[in-house]
Amino acid sequence: MPDLSECRERDDVPTYYERPLLKAPHWEWNVVTYLFLGGIMGGLGLIQLIAHPERPQERRLKRTVRITSFILAAGNPAILITHLGRPERFLNMLRIVKIKSPMSLGVWGLVLYSGAAGANVVRELAIDGVLPRWMRLLAPGFLAPLQALLGAFTAGYTGVLLSATANPFWGSGKRHIPAASVCSGLASASALASLLSTFEGNHAVVHKLERLEMVAGAAELLILNDFKRAAGAYGAPFFKGKRGERLLTYTVVAGTLAPLALNLIGQAVKLPKPIDAVRTTLASALTLVGGYVLRESLIEAGKESARDPRAAFRQPR
Amino acid sequence: MANGFFTDTTLCIGCKACEVACKQWNELPSDGFVFTGESYDNTSELSGTTWRHVAFVEQMAIDHQGELQDRWLMSSDVCKHCTNAGCHEACPTGAIIRNEFGAVFIQPDVCNGCGYCVVSCPFGVVDLIEKFDPDGTHYNLASLATSRLDARATAVQQSGGVAGKCTLCYDRQRLGFVPACAKACPTESIQFGDLDELRERAHARVERLSERGVSAQLYGADDVGGGIGALNAFFLLTDRPETYNLPAQPVLPSTRQPAGYTAAAVAALGLALAGWMIFRNA
Amino acid sequence: MPGLGTSFGRGGATVWVPDLENADCILIEGSNFAEAHPVAFRFVMKAKERGATIIHVDPRFTRTSALADIYAPIRSGTDIAFLGGIVNYVISHEKIFREYVVAYTNASFIVSDAYRDTEDLDGLFSGYDGASRTYDTASWAFERDGQGVIATDPTLTHPRSVYQILKRHFARYTPEMVERTCGTPQAQFLQIAETLAHNSGRERTTAFAYAVGWTQHTAGVQFIRTAAIVQTLLGNMGRPGGGIMALRGHANIQGATDVPTLYDLLPGYLPMPSALRNEQTLAEYLKLNAKPTGWWAHTPKYMISLLKAFYGEHATPENDYGYAYLPQLIGDHSMLPTTFAMKDGVVKGSFVIGQNPGASGQNAELVRSAMERLDWLVNIDSYDNETVSFWRREGVDPSTIATEVFFLPAATVLEKEGTMVQTSRLLQWHDKAVEPAGDSKSDAWYFNWFMLRMKALYANSTDPKDLPILHTAWNYEHDDPHERVKGEPSVLKVLQEINGYTVADGAQVAGFSDLKDDGSTASGCWIYSGVCPDKATNRARNRDASGPYTAPNWGFAWPANRRTLYNRASAAPDGTPWSERKKYVWWDATRGEWTGIDVPDFPKTKAPSTPANKHATGMDFHGGADPFIMNLDGVAQLFVPSGLKDAPIPAHYEPLQSVVENPIYTQQSNPVLREYVRKDNAYNKPVDADYPYVLTTYRITEMSGIMTRYVPWLAELQPEAFAEIDPELAVSKGIKSGDYVVISTALGEMEARALVSGRMRPLRVNGKRVHQIGIPYNYGSQVAFARGDSVGDLIAIALDPNVSIHESKTLTCAIRKGRLLRRRPASFAQDEM
Ligand SMILES: Nc1nc2c(c(=O)[nH]1)N[C@H]1C(S)=C(S)[C@@H](COP(=O)(O)OP(=O)(O)OC[C@H]3O[C@@H](n4cnc5c(=O)[nH]c(N)nc54)[C@H](O)[C@@H]3O)O[C@H]1N2
Ligand SMILES: Nc1nc2c(c(=O)[nH]1)N[C@H]1C(S)=C(S)[C@@H](COP(=O)(O)OP(=O)(O)OC[C@H]3O[C@@H](n4cnc5c(=O)[nH]c(N)nc54)[C@H](O)[C@@H]3O)O[C@H]1N2
Ligand code: SF4
Ligand code: SF4
Ligand code: SF4
Ligand code: SF4
Ligand code: SF4
Ligand SMILES: [Mo]
Repeated sequence: MPDLSECRERDDVPTYYERPLLKAPHWEWNVVTYLFLGGIMGGLGLIQLIAHPERPQERRLKRTVRITSFILAAGNPAILITHLGRPERFLNMLRIVKIKSPMSLGVWGLVLYSGAAGANVVRELAIDGVLPRWMRLLAPGFLAPLQALLGAFTAGYTGVLLSATANPFWGSGKRHIPAASVCSGLASASALASLLSTFEGNHAVVHKLERLEMVAGAAELLILNDFKRAAGAYGAPFFKGKRGERLLTYTVVAGTLAPLALNLIGQAVKLPKPIDAVRTTLASALTLVGGYVLRESLIEAGKESARDPRAAFRQPR
Repeated sequence: MANGFFTDTTLCIGCKACEVACKQWNELPSDGFVFTGESYDNTSELSGTTWRHVAFVEQMAIDHQGELQDRWLMSSDVCKHCTNAGCHEACPTGAIIRNEFGAVFIQPDVCNGCGYCVVSCPFGVVDLIEKFDPDGTHYNLASLATSRLDARATAVQQSGGVAGKCTLCYDRQRLGFVPACAKACPTESIQFGDLDELRERAHARVERLSERGVSAQLYGADDVGGGIGALNAFFLLTDRPETYNLPAQPVLPSTRQPAGYTAAAVAALGLALAGWMIFRNA
Repeated sequence: MPGLGTSFGRGGATVWVPDLENADCILIEGSNFAEAHPVAFRFVMKAKERGATIIHVDPRFTRTSALADIYAPIRSGTDIAFLGGIVNYVISHEKIFREYVVAYTNASFIVSDAYRDTEDLDGLFSGYDGASRTYDTASWAFERDGQGVIATDPTLTHPRSVYQILKRHFARYTPEMVERTCGTPQAQFLQIAETLAHNSGRERTTAFAYAVGWTQHTAGVQFIRTAAIVQTLLGNMGRPGGGIMALRGHANIQGATDVPTLYDLLPGYLPMPSALRNEQTLAEYLKLNAKPTGWWAHTPKYMISLLKAFYGEHATPENDYGYAYLPQLIGDHSMLPTTFAMKDGVVKGSFVIGQNPGASGQNAELVRSAMERLDWLVNIDSYDNETVSFWRREGVDPSTIATEVFFLPAATVLEKEGTMVQTSRLLQWHDKAVEPAGDSKSDAWYFNWFMLRMKALYANSTDPKDLPILHTAWNYEHDDPHERVKGEPSVLKVLQEINGYTVADGAQVAGFSDLKDDGSTASGCWIYSGVCPDKATNRARNRDASGPYTAPNWGFAWPANRRTLYNRASAAPDGTPWSERKKYVWWDATRGEWTGIDVPDFPKTKAPSTPANKHATGMDFHGGADPFIMNLDGVAQLFVPSGLKDAPIPAHYEPLQSVVENPIYTQQSNPVLREYVRKDNAYNKPVDADYPYVLTTYRITEMSGIMTRYVPWLAELQPEAFAEIDPELAVSKGIKSGDYVVISTALGEMEARALVSGRMRPLRVNGKRVHQIGIPYNYGSQVAFARGDSVGDLIAIALDPNVSIHESKTLTCAIRKGRLLRRRPASFAQDEM
C-alpha cells in the first residue's frame, strides 16, 4: 500500500524551496474530452456485441450503437488534434507501434476500432438496404467481437495512460483508475445508448441498458471507494478539498447515485411513457456529466499532485 | 559503449557556466527574468528550454556556534538519460530514441507535442516548449536570425509545443566534441565519458571523500530502483537526494502497466458478463 | 600596485595561477576567487584535491567560502588588524622561517633613531604634518654608517632592528584584539593562524590570493603590505605553491598596467615625468629614477629605448631622444580627481573608451553630471550605456545640455586580434574570429586613425609645440591587404615594436638584456622584450603545454618568460633547494649556473657565494643570496622606508565611513587618505547613527562588469540588483527575501531586491552588534534584460593616498523596506538649484 508517512509526518524532509519536482501535465479540456469520449466509444463497442441480433429492437440498438461508435471513433482524433496543434502531427503517432506506450497502443486501438466500427456500420447499412447488399461481406462476423474487444481496450487504456505515468496520484491508482475508467466508460455508453434509444422510440431496450448502466455505475463507485483507501495521502488532490467535493457532487452523487436511484425507480415502477422518457433523459445526462467530471478531476488532480514535491520524492510503486 | 555524465557536486562552484554553455550551444532562449529570492537560483528548475540547472541550497547554522558546519550546496542537474527511461517508453511517436551514444534523444521533427513524455519522467526533466519568442524580450541575438533556432521557434509557434530536454549534445558528440556543459565546467564537477569508467571513478571518489571525513553518496551510479536501473547521468551528493530536488524513490511508470491492463481487463470482462446476462433474457 | 612593488620590487602577482596547485594551504582573503575568477579557481580545487587546506576570509559567505575548508567572517575594512594578528602570532609563537627572514629580508636592518611608531604616537608615524595631511618620510630611513652602508643586526635583537620594531608594533594585535576589531571569532582566527604557520617553512608553502577586496579601501595598499609581511616572515615568497596571487580584474587589466593606461607611468613601470619633480631634462629624469643599486640601475637603457620607439629617427642624443616631447604631470590626473575637474569646468573634453563610469564609477551621478559640463565627449563602446547617454537619464532635460557627444562603435574581443595579458603576467595572442558587426572598428583602428588624422592636420605646422605629433614614429600598416583596405593597423607590428629592435638594421632584439642606452635600440615596453625575438616568432601565440608544469611554451610571461618571480628565494642562501619537495630553481655548481624548472629570476651565472659589494653600483651591489633583484638592497622589505605615503609598516585604520570607532588607535582612519568634501560628494559621518550598517560591494559570477546585462542568458540568472541581508536584520526591518528595499547614504539612494540569507552574519565588534549588507555593482539604470540601480550612486569618493583608488568596498548605509520614487540623488538636486 502506498505510504507517504515517511515524508508527510516528518517535517524535516527537505524540499527545494517547496518547488515541484515533477512537471504537471499540459492537458486541458481537449484531452479530458478525448479520454471521456474514448470511454464511451469503448463501452458502445461492448453494447454492440451483447445486443441480441435476432430481436428487432436490439438489432436496432446494435445499429444505432455501431453508427454512434463509428462517429465517435472518427471524431476523437479531431479532438486530439486540437491538442496537438496540426493535423499532420496525429499521423506521427502512426509511425510506430510501441507496446510499452499506452498512448501508442491507444491510438492504434482507436484506429483499429474505427476500422472495425466502420466495417460494422457498412454491414448494418448493407443489411438495411441503404448500401448494396453484397457490401455485407466487407464486414465478416468476427468484426463484432473484435470491435467489442477493441472497445474494452479503448475504455481501459485511458486509465492505464494515466496510471502508468510518473504522476504520484495517478500512479497510486494503477489498478483503480483503469478499472474505474472501464466502468465509467460503460456506464456513460449505456447512458448515451439509452438516451438515443429513447429519442428513437426504441423503448424496449432502454431498461436493459439502464440495468447495465446501474451495474457499471455501482462497480465504479466501489472501485473509487477502494481507490480512496488505497491511495492514502497520494489521493488527496483527488479526494480532498474543492476537487474532492466536486467529485463527490458531480460524479458520485449526481453522476452515479442519482441515476442509480432514477433507474431503480424506472425498473421498479412502470411509469407513463413520456414521464419515463424524461426520467431516462435525466438519468443519462447525469451519468454523462459524472463521467466527464471524473476524467476532468483525474487530470486536474494529476496537475496538483505533480506540484507536490513530497509526493514526487517517493513515487508509488 | 555508452557515454554519460558523472556530476560531482563537491566540486561544483555554482558558476552556472554549464547552464549558459548549454543554452548557447543549443540556442535556447532565456526563460524570463524573475528574481526569486531563493539563494542564487533564479532559473529554479529544468524546463523545455533550460537543460542544465544549478541548484543552490543554503544550510547555515542558525547561531553559527554549534558543531554544524555551514554549507552552501550547489549541484548541476540534467536529464538522467535513464537506462529504462520513462519518457522514452511513453513516447507514442518514436520521437524519443536511444541514440548510438546511449543517450535518450528527442527528435524534434518527429515529436508531435502530445506531452506524454512530460508526465512519464520520474525526475521531472522533460517539458513542452509552448512559447518561443525570438523577437520579444526573451531573445535578442539578431545575428542568429537565420539559424536553426528560428526553425525551432517556427515549429513551436505553429504547432503548439514540442518536447525539449538535454540531447547529451548529440551533435557535438557526433563531431567528437565533449558536451558543451562539461566543456565549460571549470572545476570538472561535470565529467563526461564512458560510463563504466565514470562509475569506477565515482566509487573511488566516494571512498576518498570518506577518508577525509566527508560523507558522500552516489545517486544513480547503480540501480536507483523502481525499475529504472542506473542513470547515465549520475551524481555524487553530500546530502539526501530530496535536498537537491531529486526523488528518493523514483519509479519507472511502465512497471504499473501490467496491473493496469489486468485491472481493466477484469473490469471489462466482469461488465461484459453482466451485460451478456442482462441482454440474454428477453 | 605599490603594496607588492615596495615590498618585493615589482607591482605584479608574484606567482602564476596554475602554480597554486602546488600549495599546501591557500589563504583567499580580499577576493571572491570562485565567483570572480572561476576558471582560475580550478587550480585551487586541484590543490584541495591534493590535500591543501583552503581558507577564505570574507565579510560574506560566498561560493568561495562554500568550497573552502575554513571560512572566517570579517568586518569589511579590517584586514590589517586580521593580518596584523597573524604577524603577531607568528612572531610571538616563533613560527617565522628564521633562516629565510634573516637572509632574504630587511628584518635585520636598523631604523633611524628619529623614527617613532604608531605605538608611541597613538596611530601616527613620525613625520606627520597635520596641516597638509602628509608625511615627511625622512625619519623612516635606515641608519647608515659614514659610507652610506646600512647598519644591520643579523641576530635580530637590536631594539631598532626592523624585526624588533615589527614585533613591538604588532604586539597589540592579539587574537582578542582581532576579534574585537574584525568580529572574527578568536577560535577561527587561531585556527587560521596555526594552519598558516603549519604550512610554511622548508617543506611546505602557503599561497595568498587577493583582489579588489583588499585594494578598494583608503588603506588598501597597506592591506597588501600586511599580507606581504606575513608571507615574507613565513618564507613563502619566490617558492612553488607560495607567493602572493594578485588576481587581476578585466581580461587585460595586467596589460593595462604594464603598458599603462595609468597617468603616472610610462610602459614598463617607468615613472611619468613630472613638472613637480626635478625632471626637466632626460639627465635629470635618469638621475632621479635610475636607482643606483639593483636592477633599476638599468633604467637608462629602458627609457632611451622607449623614447627611440616613440620618436624613431627624431629621437637623437642631441634632443634628449625627444624627452621633452613627453607630457609632464602637474598633479593627480587619475580618473576620479579628473572627474571633479570636469564637473568644475576645468577639463573640457573627454575620451571614454571601454569603460562605463556613469554606472561603474564611484559617485556615478557625479560622473554623469560632470559630463554635462564638457564641451565634448567621445565614447568608444560596444553598447549604449549610462556614460554616453548621460544626457537622457531620468530627471534631466536634454535641451539644457550643450555637450557634444560622439558615440563610436567598438569591435568586441572576438572581432579583432591582439594580445591580452592576464593575471599570471602571461601574454596570450588571440585571433579575430568574426568580422566586426556593422560599422564597429577595433580600438586600434580608432587610435591609428586619430593619429594619422592629427599628423595630417598638423603637417604644415612649424610650431614647436606640435613636434610631438609630427615626430611620433607611426608605421603600423597592416601587411594583409584586406585589413589595410579597412584601415586596420597591424597590432603584430605594435607587439614587435614593444619587443624592441636594433635601430641600425631593424632586427628584433632577443630580450631586454640586449637593450642599450645609446639610442641604438628601441623598445616600446622593456618588460615584454623577448615576446617577438625575431620577425617570424610571436611567443604570445605559443600554445604548447608540454614540458615541465611551468609550460614554458604556452604564451609568454614577462619578464623573460618567467613564471614565478623572485624564484631565487626557492633555494636556500647556499643555492640548494630548501627541500626536495619544494624544489624549483637552484644553483648547479658543476655547470656554474642557476637552473630549475623556471627561468631563474637572477643573474644566471652569479654564484650563491658571491659577496655583496656594498660600495658597488647596479647588480654588483647585491650578493649571490639576494633574491629580490629589483629592490635597492636585494631583499624583501618588511619595513618600507620610502615609496609609500601613509606608513612604513601597516597600522589598522577604520574606513572613512565606519560603524565603529577605531578599537586600536585614537587615530580613526588613514591620516593621509584623500577626501573631497563638497556638496556633490557628501559623506556619512565617520560613525553615523543615521547609517548604522556596513555596506560592501562586489561582483557576481553571473555578470561581467555592467556590460553583460544585455545578454539574456546571463540576465535570467541574476535578473535584478539585489542586496544581501542577514536574517536578524531582515526580521528587525520586516524584510523578506524578494522584497524591494531602499538602501541609502548621505550621497544617494538605490532600490534593490532583498536576498535574505544566513550567509550574511551579524558580527560582534567592540561590544556592538554589526550588520553588513552586500550589494553587487553589476547593475545600472540603462534599459537591459537585467535591471537595477547602480550602487555607485551611494558611494562618495574617498581615495587611498598612494594609488588614488576609491573606497568602494566599505562604507555605511541605512536600509528600509519599500521602493524608490525619486530617482535623482537629493544631494545633486540641491546642487543644481
Ligand atoms: N563574473 C565576474 N568576474 C569578474 C568581474 C565581473 O564583473 N564579473 N570583474 C573582474 C574585475 S574587473 C575584478 S577587479 C575582479 C575582482 O575580483 P574580486 O576582488 O575577487 O571580486 P569582488 O567581488 O569585487 O570582491 C571580492 C570579495 O571581497 C569581499 N570584501 C569586501 N570588503 C572586504 C574586506 O574589507 N576584506 C576582505 N577580506 N574582503 C572584503 C567581498 O565580500 C567579496 O566577496 O573580478 C574580475 N572578475
Ligand atoms: N561599487 C563598486 N564599483 C566598482 C567596483 C566594485 O567592486 N564596487 N569595481 C571596480 C572595478 S575593479 C572595475 S575594473 C570597474 C569596471 O568598470 P567598467 O570598466 O566601467 O565596467 P564594464 O562594464 O566592465 O565596462 C566595460 C565597457 O567596455 C565596453 N567594451 C567591451 N569590450 C570592448 C572593446 O573591445 N572595446 C571598447 N572600446 N569597449 C569595450 C563594454 O561595452 C562596457 O561598456 O568597476 C569598478 N567599480
Ligand atoms: S530523466 Fe526523464 S527525460 Fe531524462 S531520460 Fe530519464 S525519463 Fe527521460
Ligand atoms: S511530446 Fe513529443 S517527445 Fe514527448 S511523448 Fe509526445 S511525441 Fe514523444
Ligand atoms: S549535454 Fe549538451 S544539451 Fe545536455 S545539458 Fe549538456 S550542454 Fe545541454
Ligand atoms: S559549470 Fe561546473 S562548477 Fe559551474 S555550476 Fe556547472 S557544474 Fe558547477
Ligand atoms: S571570463 Fe575569461 S577571464 Fe574570467 S574566468 Fe572566465 S575565462 Fe577567465
Ligand atoms: Mo577591476
